[in-house]
This record gives sequence, structure tokens and C-alpha cells, in this order.
Amino acid sequence: MEETMTDETSKKEEPSGNVMMGAVAAFAGWIVPGLGHLLMRRWSKAAVYFLCVGGLACAGLAMRGGVFAAGAEDLFDRLGFFADLGTGIFYFLAHVIQTAGPDVAHATGDYGTRMFAAAGMINLLTVLEAYEIGRGRRI
Amino acid sequence: MNSLFGGLTHFQAQMFFALTVSVTFAFLSKRGAIERVKYIAWAFLAFLLVAVGIGWLMYPFSR
Repeated sequence: MEETMTDETSKKEEPSGNVMMGAVAAFAGWIVPGLGHLLMRRWSKAAVYFLCVGGLACAGLAMRGGVFAAGAEDLFDRLGFFADLGTGIFYFLAHVIQTAGPDVAHATGDYGTRMFAAAGMINLLTVLEAYEIGRGRRI
Repeated sequence: MNSLFGGLTHFQAQMFFALTVSVTFAFLSKRGAIERVKYIAWAFLAFLLVAVGIGWLMYPFSR
């Protein structure tokens, strides 16, 4: 029993990976939140990241938050676009999920805009972690 | 889903935001289960306290 635990521990403490694995994990994690961790067999993290990022993004859309479009001239809108793009598939399916369209004239819609952008930023953090795991720099 | 999240009060929406962000940050930065639970509780409360605090600070400018 002790030997098994020692072996498992030593395996966990010796991460292995390469740049390609990191890039694949990062891309997968960006497209579908948590998918990068799923590929790296981090089951619990994959589930938590998908639920949290997906929940936040869907909540933002359900609150009729705005989604920033590409090609905006305003710097703030451009930053918003990159933040929104971080949600991956939720950005591309935003018009499907948000059937009623955005309504930022009300505070709830404005909160939704921020929630969706926050989901994108958080997903970018998880993407970085997925890359680090795939690269072998993080357990 | 629209009826679930569309009817949230501002405070409920803020609580949902605080919870999801706290949980994600806990899994990003902590490894043990107990460490994560402690972090979630701490970060969640900090989010709420700061939001309420900022709300009170902004109150005089609301009218």
C-alpha cells in the first residue's frame, strides 16, 4: 500500500509534457472551457472550470448583457471584444443562447455585459493553466 | 434560463458572480480540498464585503 502511494506521489510530482501538448490543451481549453484540463486528465478542474465559466457566460447572456463585436473603433470596445472572445464557444453561440438580444439600457443588462467579459477573462486564466500543465511546468 | 437569471436582483447577481469567481480562483491557486474550501469562503466573503463597502461609499453620490 505504501509503495503504491509512493509511486503515485512520485508520478504526480514529475510532470511531463511538451510545447505541442501545451498548445493543444490551451486551444481546446479556449474553445470549450475545461476541455484542455479534460485532455490532461484533470477531471475535477475540467468540470469546475466548465461549470463556472459556462455558468457565468450563460448568466451574462441571460441577463441580456451586450457582446462586443470585432472591428470596433473604440479602445474599450476592442478590449471588451478580446475579453468576450475568451469565452470561446459561448462567444460564437451567444446569439443562439441569447434569443431576446442585448438590453444594456437597464442595469441588469449592463451587469450581464460585465459577467460575460469576466467569464472570458477567467477562461483565459484557465487556458494559461492548461498550457502550463500540457507543457509540464505545472502538476 | 432567461427567467432564472433575468429575474435576479443586483445582490443575487453579485453573489453568483462572487461564488463562480471564488471557486475558479480556488482551483487555480490551491491544491488541497481544505485549502480550496478555505479560499472559496474567504474570497466569497471578501467579494461581498468590498461590493457592499463600495456601495456605501457611492451612496452619497446617488442623488
